[in-house]
Formats: sequence, C-alpha cells, structure tokens
Amino acid sequence: MRPEPRAGLRALAGFLAALAIWFTLSLPYEKALAFSAELLIRLFESPAATRLSAQRGEILVTRSDWPPSAPSPGLPAEDVHFNFVLLVALFAAERGTWRLDRVARFGIACLILYFVHVTALVFDLEALYATRLGSWSRSHFGPVARNLCAGGYHFYLVAGRFAAPFAIWWPLRAGRAEEGAGTARQRRRQSGRQAGESARPSA
Amino acid sequence: MNLSTGPTARRRSLLFVGRFVTFLIVFYLAVASHPGNDKVIVPFTALIARICATLLRWMGEAVTVNGTEIRSSSFAVQIQNGCNGVETALLFCCAVLAFPAPWKRRAAGLILGFAAIELLNLFRVVSLFWIGAHYPRFFSESHTVIWQSLVVLWGVLLFLLWAKPPDRAAAPAAR
Repeated sequence: MRPEPRAGLRALAGFLAALAIWFTLSLPYEKALAFSAELLIRLFESPAATRLSAQRGEILVTRSDWPPSAPSPGLPAEDVHFNFVLLVALFAAERGTWRLDRVARFGIACLILYFVHVTALVFDLEALYATRLGSWSRSHFGPVARNLCAGGYHFYLVAGRFAAPFAIWWPLRAGRAEEGAGTARQRRRQSGRQAGESARPSA
Repeated sequence: MNLSTGPTARRRSLLFVGRFVTFLIVFYLAVASHPGNDKVIVPFTALIARICATLLRWMGEAVTVNGTEIRSSSFAVQIQNGCNGVETALLFCCAVLAFPAPWKRRAAGLILGFAAIELLNLFRVVSLFWIGAHYPRFFSESHTVIWQSLVVLWGVLLFLLWAKPPDRAAAPAAR
C-alpha cells in the first residue's frame, strides 16, 4: 500500500467503525473465544476439567476438580482481542476496501486473528494455572513450564497483540511496498536483470 | 477471486514477516530481561513521567512525580510497559530493520520514527491523565482500546511512509 493523505482518513474511519463493531460484538465474540479455547485446552488436559465462560470483558475459569465454593478467577478478555480494531483500520486504509478480493483477504485475516486470540487465551489461562494459584500451581507446573506459560502470554501482551494485526495484514494487503525498494545492491541486480530481459529478442 | 499476486511478491512478503517476527522476539527478550528493563526501560519511563508532569503543570494540573507515577489529589497513573510507547517503537524498529533498505535510510527512519512515536505517546499519557482526572468513567476504554490502537496505527503509518517506494516514473523524464 502506498501511503497517501486519504489513506490516513480511511484508516481513521475504519478505526471508528471497528470500535463500534468491537463494542457491540465483544460479548458474543468472547463466548466464541471461551468455547474454542476450552475445546483446545481440554484436548491436552488430563483430566479434562477446565470450564471457561464469558462475562462482559472477562473470561471466567472454573474446574470440575475444584471445590464448588472455590472462587472463579477471571481473565481480562479485552487485552486479548482489542487488536481487531487495528486490523480493521489497516484494511480500511487501502483503496477499494469493498472489492470482493479485498473482502476475502479481510475475512482470511479475521480468521487468522481469531486463532491468534484463542492461542493467546490458552497461554493466559496456562499462565494463571502456572503462576497465580499458589501451592496448586507449584504442584502441577515445574519451573520450565511456569516460565514458558507466563513468558508466552507476556510476549503477547508486550509485543504480540500489537504486532499480530500488522503481521497478518502485511502479506494480505493490496499493494506491495517491498517492490521498488531494497538495498542498492538488490536494486542494481534487479535493474540488470530487467535490462537483460528487454535486450533479449522477443519471439 | 485471485488471492495470489505472484510467487515472488508473496515470498518477499512472507520473508519480511519472518524477519519482522524474528526481530520482535529478539527485542522482546532484550526489553523483558531484568537488565534491559531495569537499566533502560524504567529510567526511560521515568523520564516520560517527568516530561508529562511538566506538560500537565502547564495545563494547570497540580501533579507530582514519583518514579514512573504521576499523581494529583484526585487521580494517579503508573506508567508501565504498554504506556511508554516502547512497544510501538519496538514494532516500528523491527519493521524498519526487516525491510530491505540501505542502512543510512534505516538509521534515519529509526531515529525519526522513534521520536515521532514518543511525541504522540506524550500526548497520549497527558490526555489519559486528564481524562482520568476529569472523566474517570471514560478512562478504561480510552486507555485500553482507543489510545493503544491509535499509537500502534501511528507507528504503522510512519513505517508505511518510510517504506514508500521511490517514485521511478519521474526519473527518466528528469534525465
């Protein structure tokens, strides 16, 4: 995508529209996230005891092997999925947003982002299990597993949640900024190749 | 519907994303490590807090600073990772380093981009403090969603401006 003044305005309009969508659909989206993350966790869990449920802005965690009176810890959900707004703004910045191929690319990007969110939620939950439940955490997780789970979610919080929309959008975007760019050596090599091709007689 | 734009372009894009993610992991490890956090990030964040407090005093807010915390009689914020602009700067730097460009251009992009990101971030921290002090019910969403997204978008926009391909069409005419 070549940046132009209108791209900024389109991104801003997309950002505002995405905010409205995000505020409206957060709860159903969190329910879907909780459902998928629970499925994924229970695949690798023995015994499969985790139950996740969504409240506005929070994913509540319960386990069938905890006493019924035990409190349900909550995971902040907005931190996980607010980057949807960023993804929409990036796609909106492109010209011809409503063209069929762009809409398809956006759909693919949303699907990838959904899987990123599910993975982040799984790491968040594992970080909770591994580090925040006192003796239960220490008895179920070794030091390596604790660091891996907590580090994985921390990476998402610090860098991954901001980077994910950009990294997903970049290969799916309409224009290609890399074209025409490059180091001086790469550009010389490319122009030499093009000159060679144009000098060749055409059939 | 054709989702492919040629194998070379796609390969370049994916290579860029691969380099970007690799840089991101390396920089994350540097920033998240104890020495990196204690010796670089915390003092830098404290500097941001001092600058923001000065700006807030110019706006008539009676604030004090203690390390990375800005406090008034009615409201206080602790500037942490995520609010110091380092994450967006990190993304920008990783994208610039991953992008094929001469080193001089990269260096100029890194310096100017970092400055531009931190400038917007100062405005963000000041405005968030003001919102928290005067309209506290809007603070949470402004902090988590709106400003974080705007600062990251700003970083992406700066990167796109920097990465804009040179205008080749004008070159032959100038010769």
